[in-house]
Amino acid sequence: MSDGGVAHRQAGEIGVTATPEDLRLFARVRARDRDAFEALYRLYHPRLARFLLNLLHRPQLVEEVLNDTLFVVWERSDTFRGASKLSTWIFAIAYRKAMKALRRLDEPVEDADVDLRPSNEAAPDEPLNQRRAQAALLAALARLSADHRAVVDLTYFHEMGYREIAEIMNCPVDTVKTRMFHARRHLRRIMDGELADWL
Amino acid sequence: MGRILPFTGDPHRETRDLMPWLVSGRLDPDEQARVEAHLAACQECSRELAAERELAGAVAELPIATGIGWAAMRDRLDAAARQTSPTALQPARPRFTLRQIGLFMAAQAALLAAAISITARVATPVAPYHALGAAPSTAVGNVIVVFRPDVRESEMRRLLKGSEARLVDGPTAANAYVLRVPQAERAAALSQLRNDAAVVLAEPLDAAALQ
Repeated sequence: MSDGGVAHRQAGEIGVTATPEDLRLFARVRARDRDAFEALYRLYHPRLARFLLNLLHRPQLVEEVLNDTLFVVWERSDTFRGASKLSTWIFAIAYRKAMKALRRLDEPVEDADVDLRPSNEAAPDEPLNQRRAQAALLAALARLSADHRAVVDLTYFHEMGYREIAEIMNCPVDTVKTRMFHARRHLRRIMDGELADWL
Repeated sequence: MGRILPFTGDPHRETRDLMPWLVSGRLDPDEQARVEAHLAACQECSRELAAERELAGAVAELPIATGIGWAAMRDRLDAAARQTSPTALQPARPRFTLRQIGLFMAAQAALLAAAISITARVATPVAPYHALGAAPSTAVGNVIVVFRPDVRESEMRRLLKGSEARLVDGPTAANAYVLRVPQAERAAALSQLRNDAAVVLAEPLDAAALQ
C-alpha cells in the first residue's frame, strides 16, 4: 500500500481529532509530495515562529529549532497516527526540540535581569501608557519559566484548550492549569501595578 | 442526560482554573455550563472573569516580541538615516541593551521571513521608506542581509567592501538591505557575511527565478 493510501485509511478512522484539511494536506506529505510539504511549511511557519520566539527568547535559535521541527515532520510523517490534531503533533515536536535546545545551552531559562523598558521619550504616534503597559507585560512574561510561557502562549495566542496543551507538553492537565494559574497571577500583578502607576 | 455534572472540588478554584479557556471558548460543553452556572451565582468569580478577559486581551495583543519594539525601531530608523546623510555621518549611539537587541533581531527575523515567504520580488523596493537617494536604482540585488541593529556604519562599509557588495536597496520595512555581489563570488560573499558577528541574516536572492 502506498503512503498516501495509509494516510487516507487513517483519515477515515480519525476524523474527529484531525481536521479534514489537515488530513488532506498531510496525506500528500506522507506520499512525499514536496509541494504539499512546502504548503504545510508555509502554513505552520508563522505560528511556530511566534511560539518558539516566545518560548526560547533567543531569536538566533528560532529558525534552527523551527526547521528541525518541520524536518522531523517531513522525515517522520509516518509516525503521525492521527490520534491528535496535526497541529498538536507538530507543536509537541516543536516544544520538545525547543526544550532540548534550551537544555543544550545550559543557561538559565529565565531572564533575571530584564531590561525591557523603552526610553521615556514619548512616541508622537503611540500612546505612552499602552507602550509602557506592553513593555511591562513583556518583561513579566520574560520572568516566567519557559514552561509557564509556553502555557500562556498556547492558551492566549494559539487559543488551544488545556488538554491539547497537556498533550503538547506531555504533562498532566492539572499541571497545565496550575502553571496557567501562577502565570496569570504573576502577569496580573504586573499589569495592575503598571496601570496603577499610570492611570 | 442533560444534567450538569457538579464540580468535584472547590467550585471557586475550578472556575478560577478554567477561566482562561472559558474566555477562549475552549471548554467542553459540560465544563462551560458548570463554570457559567457558578459565575452566575458568584460575584467574586465574575470580577475575576472580567480581569481575566482584560489580561487575555492584553497578552494576545502583544506584538510579536516587539513590546520594546517601537522605541528601538525608531532609534534604528534614525541611525540608518544618519548613516546615509552625508552631513551627519556618525556611528549610532550604543543605546541598545542586549535584551533589546535580541528582541529587535527577533522582530527583524520574523518580519524578514514573512517578507521573503510572501514575495521575494527583488527588483521592487519593499519599503515605503527610503533613505538612499531619490533616484530609483535599476540594479538588481542578489543578496539580502540584515545587520545587527547596533552595527556601526564603518562596520557595514567594511563588510560591503570585503564582500565586493554594492547596496541596491534598503533599509526595507524589516530593516534588511538588498545587495548586489558578483554572481561568481556570491557563495563566498554569503559565507563571509554569515560568519560576521555584525550580520544577523544573509540569504541569496534570485530575481530571474521569480520572473
